[in-house]
Amino acid sequence: MARRYDSRTTIFSPEGRLYQIEYAMEAISHAGTVLGVLAKDGVVLAAEKKVTGKLLDLSAAKDGGYGGSGEKIYLLNSNVIGGVAGLTADANSLVNYARTAAQRHLLMYNEDIPVELLAQRMCDMKQGYTQFGGLRPFGVSLLYAGYDPHYHFQLYHSDPSGNYSGWKATCIGANNGTAQSLLKQEYKDDIEVKDAIGLVLRTMSKTMDSTTLGSEKLEFAVITLDPTTKEPKAKIYKPAEIDALLQKEGLMKKEEDAEMATA
Amino acid sequence: MSIMELNGGSVIAMVGKDCVAIAADMRLGNQALGISSKFERIFPVTDRIYLGLPGLATDVATLRERFRFRVNMYTIKEEREIQPETFAHLVSSTLYEHRFGPYFIEPVMAGISKTPSGAVKPFIAATDLIGCLNFAKDFVVAGTASTKLYGVAEGLWEPDLEPEDLFETISQTLLNATDRDAFSGWGCIVHIITKDKVVTRTLKGRMD
Amino acid sequence: MNTFATKFSTTSAVGQLRKAQKLAAEEDEFSDAAWGSEAGFGNVAKGAPSFTVPAIPDPAAFLRLHTDDHADPSCRIKIQHGTTTLAFRFQGGVIVAVDSRATAGSYIASGTVKKVIEINPYLLGTMAGGAADCQYWETYLGMHCRLHELRNRERISVSAASKYLSNLVYSYKGMGLSMGTMICGWDKTGPAVFYVDSDGTRLKGDLFSVGSGSTFAYGVLDQGYHWDLTDAEAQELGRRSIYAAGHRDAFSGNTCNLYHVKEDGWHFIGNYDVSKMHYDGPGNVPGAPGHGYGYDIRVEGRSSANPPEASS
Repeated sequence: MARRYDSRTTIFSPEGRLYQIEYAMEAISHAGTVLGVLAKDGVVLAAEKKVTGKLLDLSAAKDGGYGGSGEKIYLLNSNVIGGVAGLTADANSLVNYARTAAQRHLLMYNEDIPVELLAQRMCDMKQGYTQFGGLRPFGVSLLYAGYDPHYHFQLYHSDPSGNYSGWKATCIGANNGTAQSLLKQEYKDDIEVKDAIGLVLRTMSKTMDSTTLGSEKLEFAVITLDPTTKEPKAKIYKPAEIDALLQKEGLMKKEEDAEMATA
Repeated sequence: MSIMELNGGSVIAMVGKDCVAIAADMRLGNQALGISSKFERIFPVTDRIYLGLPGLATDVATLRERFRFRVNMYTIKEEREIQPETFAHLVSSTLYEHRFGPYFIEPVMAGISKTPSGAVKPFIAATDLIGCLNFAKDFVVAGTASTKLYGVAEGLWEPDLEPEDLFETISQTLLNATDRDAFSGWGCIVHIITKDKVVTRTLKGRMD
Repeated sequence: MNTFATKFSTTSAVGQLRKAQKLAAEEDEFSDAAWGSEAGFGNVAKGAPSFTVPAIPDPAAFLRLHTDDHADPSCRIKIQHGTTTLAFRFQGGVIVAVDSRATAGSYIASGTVKKVIEINPYLLGTMAGGAADCQYWETYLGMHCRLHELRNRERISVSAASKYLSNLVYSYKGMGLSMGTMICGWDKTGPAVFYVDSDGTRLKGDLFSVGSGSTFAYGVLDQGYHWDLTDAEAQELGRRSIYAAGHRDAFSGNTCNLYHVKEDGWHFIGNYDVSKMHYDGPGNVPGAPGHGYGYDIRVEGRSSANPPEASS
């Protein structure tokens, strides 16, 4: 009996549930963790990379770039960075949609898209895929970390159903429950970026499956205001910078692991 | 009444030794009536590429924004700055998309590309209003004073000019050509692009 | 094609012309011998000048087909339209000021055109519309003014001279003449200005401006004009008005030629570069403000874009 509702997104089950969306959410809760913390003077985003291995060619990613060329953290617009958890292929399509939506806004209004509006645009799209026939929902949750002149720094989360909400600190992906309770304990209002970075990295190290932290398993980004131009400045860390940061925070993996990684 | 002459305005770009220059007048008119002497029709695309858009003023604003859209998408997806040659083709294909209802703009672009070896290569190009590319090795012109610009540039330009000499050449060319055009003038702006900096100067011109 | 009917018609423009020529030839008063030299006017001295017309039924339509027409910008013969000219009467005489730009389409063909035609030492004519039409007919008018002097032992009045011109151009109505002129001078009645155009309009008035830049000139002229202007103020008003037109109108500019007609005839006051007037003013001349006419120069340190130093 359940199969009749399982296989269709657009059909409610007798209990009033949309199974496909719940399955999508379930898929995301096994994906790499993405964690965001809103600070007074910026937003910090960190993500756990799942696709690793000695044979993976990371030579392009080493140089870094505007978009991070990573697996999970993307520059969506000059004022917004996004962290994705879920199906990578679906995420790519959504990231492309977000970037186009942001540029469309810039074209029409000659201003950077407000962060909440970008989240809304994405959710309009995601919601559509839960209703129209023959479609499946996007298996992706996103965190949006951004800045706009109206509400300053913001952190949003959107899920496959098309729901979105604003957060001071939140987490998606594997072990998000653990991470969220840790954040709830440790988060203080008026936290600054430099403390938020520590909070994010410590929480990540406790949440992630692997006991060690390193650039091959971690992506990291911060959005702040440029002190001179007062414009938002997104920084997606390059692998070397992540390692340096971990070193500074005292969360670097042990020496023998490092030797193994470089071997 | 030609729609290309409705608002007036002209742009010229020239190649020098490891540098390029692009310059335009600053008149915005409504046919014979001069409206503004502070109208900018040259825009930076990247730190090293400048784009001049002579033609219908409403399309100047629209195209500038459309190109910003496309260059931003290119930059964010490619994770690197667009090269002048690539940008020229972007301009061309964007204009040809409107083959049967074109923007009334004849773009002129000037930029410097860096080769992998670190050497610099000056680049200029222009297209007609539906995107036919013209890569020139000396200079390109467009706008209501284009015929006059051809004449003066043909007489003044010489190869391998240093940035300061190129500035003098392009300024004199533009100033003297626009003095013979009823729809161009009212002051000029000149950008000299070298490998590590861009110098922008505004020039006094005849105000009639 | 020259149809039989047209050839002998007495009502068509060609017919009228032919009739005038025939009359002039028969009229004793107009014979060559009576007036000695033809002063370079050749057969013109016979009265109405003769012109060769295209051998077709309607020469006016033929001309219209090939000359400047609002409907056809690609026509073969361009007639100069862009101009600013003005003249006004005041207590001290007449001020005549004109620009010096000639355009062919968007091309500025010349920046040194003389648009004031010195008909004789007491009469000036301005030039707007067809340059050749104005030049030819106003010179021709000069000749007839001289004939009037010889015949009547006194100078022709400005009124009579302008009337002669207006009747003359009216006889060519519909044949493509293009003139908008002001006949200015000083006669028994004092300073006088008459507006005459190729439609046949003739108007007596205190203040006129003609040409594509006339609206801009009127703007300055109207707010500064009154009868009791001093000579210096009046000359400055004329200069300032031509500057305004030269600045805003694409088809006017380059330089301003200024004339002042007094009781003893006209005086050439000066030639002023419009761009120089914008930045520096007309130079050290009576009535000059001592700074440039340009808005940005005039309001330096006083506009919102360029505010004065904040005083605390």
